[in-house]
Amino acid sequence: MKLKRGKMLIDPPDCATADIAFTLIIFFLVCAAVQPETGMPQVLPKTEAKTEKQDQSRNIEVSITPSSIVLNGSPLQLPEFAQRITEALRQKTREADRIVVVKSAPDTPYPTWIGVSQAIDRAGGILTLELETERRIEVE
Amino acid sequence: MKLPRRQLTASVPTFAMGDIAFLLLIFFVILARAQDDSHVQWQPAKLKDVKLAAAPRASVTIDTGFKTYLDGKETTPAELAGALSAILGDAPAGQRHVFLKVHREAKASHFEPVIAAISEAGGDLIHILEPEDPAPPR
Repeated sequence: MKLKRGKMLIDPPDCATADIAFTLIIFFLVCAAVQPETGMPQVLPKTEAKTEKQDQSRNIEVSITPSSIVLNGSPLQLPEFAQRITEALRQKTREADRIVVVKSAPDTPYPTWIGVSQAIDRAGGILTLELETERRIEVE
Repeated sequence: MKLPRRQLTASVPTFAMGDIAFLLLIFFVILARAQDDSHVQWQPAKLKDVKLAAAPRASVTIDTGFKTYLDGKETTPAELAGALSAILGDAPAGQRHVFLKVHREAKASHFEPVIAAISEAGGDLIHILEPEDPAPPR
């Protein structure tokens, strides 16, 4: 006669579960933290209210609209603008002469603006924003 | 005759140490996320030749609804310069990085006042952008 052997129950040890969870969370935290961000640094002169009109006439002026980029009066597309601004800034040696005044239409999209900004930066220009300030005058 | 009393040993249970560490970690993670802006919804614009950005002192975001956030808290461009100056303090140049995350559909009327405010606070502006996909080979 054969005797049946009793089955032995084997439970995995529970005491290490918290340690495993702890190690897993550290792993996922480290993975999440190492995603680097990419971008474009931009040097901007400190904002100030404009008082001097004389110096401004010497600076290169760029107007951006949703459909075109206007450099010193001539409308251009971005690749052409990049070439023209490089040529225009090549002759300028003084830092003060490398200032490029950018005026944007209120509905200028950000991708267009950042493209123009990168072209000016690559050409060695110093981008300056010309913002319109609102002034409310009450008339009685 | 004196009977010696049996000495009782009191030991600290080490069994729950893993659980305690786990709870502490969750506590610190929640604290650290108080300055997080991951809840702000925005999509970056794409540009060729973007560089890896250095760690920022502050992060300004313009979201899909064209609202402005400073370190995840809603603000206005008018209040931004003062708040940024307070964060940047007397940090030397080169250590005043401010991330600007502008939603790709934002217009100049939304982002130009923000750029002006960062400039006024003396921040080193870094536009956060996505690298443009390379053109498919012909």
